[in-house]
Amino acid sequence: MRRQRRLVWAAVGTVMASLCLAALTGPYDSGIGEGWRSGFAAWRLAACCLGAVGVIVLGLAYHRLARTVASIARQLTWDSAAATDLQTIERAAETVQTRLQDGQKTIAELETELKDLRLRSRLSDRQKQHTEAIIYSLRDAVVVVDESDRLLMANTAAAHLFAFDPEQARYQPLGRNLDAQYEDFVELIQRSRQSATEATRREMAFAGPDGPRTFDTIVSCVQEQDTVSGVVAVLHDITREKEVAQMKNDFVSHVSHELKTPLASITAYSEMLVDGEADDEQTRKEFYQVIQSQAQRLNRLIEDILNVSRIESGLIKVQKEPVSLTILIEQQMQMIKGFAEDKGITVTGCNPIVYDQVMADKDMISQVIVNLLSNAVKYTPAGGSVRIETDVNEVDAMARVTVTDTGVGIPADEINHVFDKFYRVGANNKQAKGTGLGLNLVRQIVEKVHNGRVFVASQVGVGSTFGFELPLAAAELAGATR
Amino acid sequence: MTGKKVLVADDEIHIIHVVAIKLRNNGYDVVAANNGAEAYELACSEKPDIIVTDYQMPFVTGIELIEKLRRNEETKHIPAVLLTARSFAITQEMQESLGIEECLSKPFSPKELLKTIQDILYQRAVAVRG
Repeated sequence: MRRQRRLVWAAVGTVMASLCLAALTGPYDSGIGEGWRSGFAAWRLAACCLGAVGVIVLGLAYHRLARTVASIARQLTWDSAAATDLQTIERAAETVQTRLQDGQKTIAELETELKDLRLRSRLSDRQKQHTEAIIYSLRDAVVVVDESDRLLMANTAAAHLFAFDPEQARYQPLGRNLDAQYEDFVELIQRSRQSATEATRREMAFAGPDGPRTFDTIVSCVQEQDTVSGVVAVLHDITREKEVAQMKNDFVSHVSHELKTPLASITAYSEMLVDGEADDEQTRKEFYQVIQSQAQRLNRLIEDILNVSRIESGLIKVQKEPVSLTILIEQQMQMIKGFAEDKGITVTGCNPIVYDQVMADKDMISQVIVNLLSNAVKYTPAGGSVRIETDVNEVDAMARVTVTDTGVGIPADEINHVFDKFYRVGANNKQAKGTGLGLNLVRQIVEKVHNGRVFVASQVGVGSTFGFELPLAAAELAGATR
Repeated sequence: MTGKKVLVADDEIHIIHVVAIKLRNNGYDVVAANNGAEAYELACSEKPDIIVTDYQMPFVTGIELIEKLRRNEETKHIPAVLLTARSFAITQEMQESLGIEECLSKPFSPKELLKTIQDILYQRAVAVRG
């Protein structure tokens, strides 16, 4: 706007100066009158004045215009420099923008990474919680110590085993909080840490409230950059496994002995017959009878083993029918009497015959009765007696059979195990041979197949009473009807 | 070699019976016991030339019987043959330390048992004659 005004002023100055010049250079007196001559002089004067003013205005306008042009030129120069700067700035801006974009990208990546890390952290926390929950719920005792054998963690099983409070014992030397009997365990941890062994395994026995317990102990060192940062010990209770293994060994030993004994007779008598060592018909007949009886004995033993196995696996066929316990008792007493008389033992029973007492598998209950009777005879010294009785408990609707002997009896600490499979009373082992299957078979048949129960009472040196109860047939049938 | 006395100890009456018949048929005298305690008493009273014993017997096992015999001056020299279904439980060291001449596994052959007894008694006789 200012530049336009200056141009207007320059034009006005030029017009005024031109007018002045025209006035001064025009004809002065040709053909005009005096009056016109004086007016013309005035006009010239005025034009000169105007011309002077126009020159001044023109000068001023020129000056201003020159300044403006110079300013524009400067501006143009500046604009050129500014344009260069602008390019630099633009480039810089581009660079900044690129970097900004890179930065934003990096920030986005970092944010993603942060999210990942947070997620992983949460997962890690959750996994830690899960791991701790698993460790605390383990039945194996787990103990974790640091590089100075200070307790970091002990699970519930460990707290129970070592009878200590892990929270109170935390960060304290392990040995300080454990009973003296666990000294070997603490030493094992220390030695493992010192030797930096990956895993050490040892069987350790500790006294427990219910007797000695054996643990399969594994101690592992936690390695961090070639140094041991801690030790983890896991104690697995193998007491029962060892007992079962021992029972299995005993079973194999007993069974092989029991199988070999009748087999030995069969083999020996057969050889004698083949070699003509039986001189007369009577002797030969006697040999044949021995072979037959020993073969039957062998068969019974194998049946016992198979029956236990079948009952346990649920594969046995059960044929229940109304059975008179008193009749079965009478039959089994006759079977056992010969064996008892050989040992000088009297077997008695005073049972009036009662029919259809229980719903039972006749063969199986016969097996139960004969097992109880033969056990009583086996563990009763010569001159002793065995008595078998039945009675009925109308209130509980149960029939009961008891076999009482005047035998060696069973120690109190062993009586709870007499019905266990393969278990043989240690104190009576020498008294008679056996596989430890007979009483187990009794329990399996009575409790598992017939929903009854077995029981035993005994006094060392006085005798034992073994027995069982079965639901009365009437009660069982009523139950089935309902 | 006849007339020699053999003590047979076993809680299986059929085993005693068959061994006794085999040995008697071959000229031996046989005394029998059905448990370790009774066998020890017979060994002390009858002074047999050789003992054939089962391992697992009531009250006193065959091993315990031999241990007792070895501790007794009058019976410690009697050769013993172990006749057992538990031969796996008898180690060579145990056999040597107890002075068990032979360990036969059940089921056994009466012929083999007879031959074992004959061999042992023969070697003893040769040793005595020098």
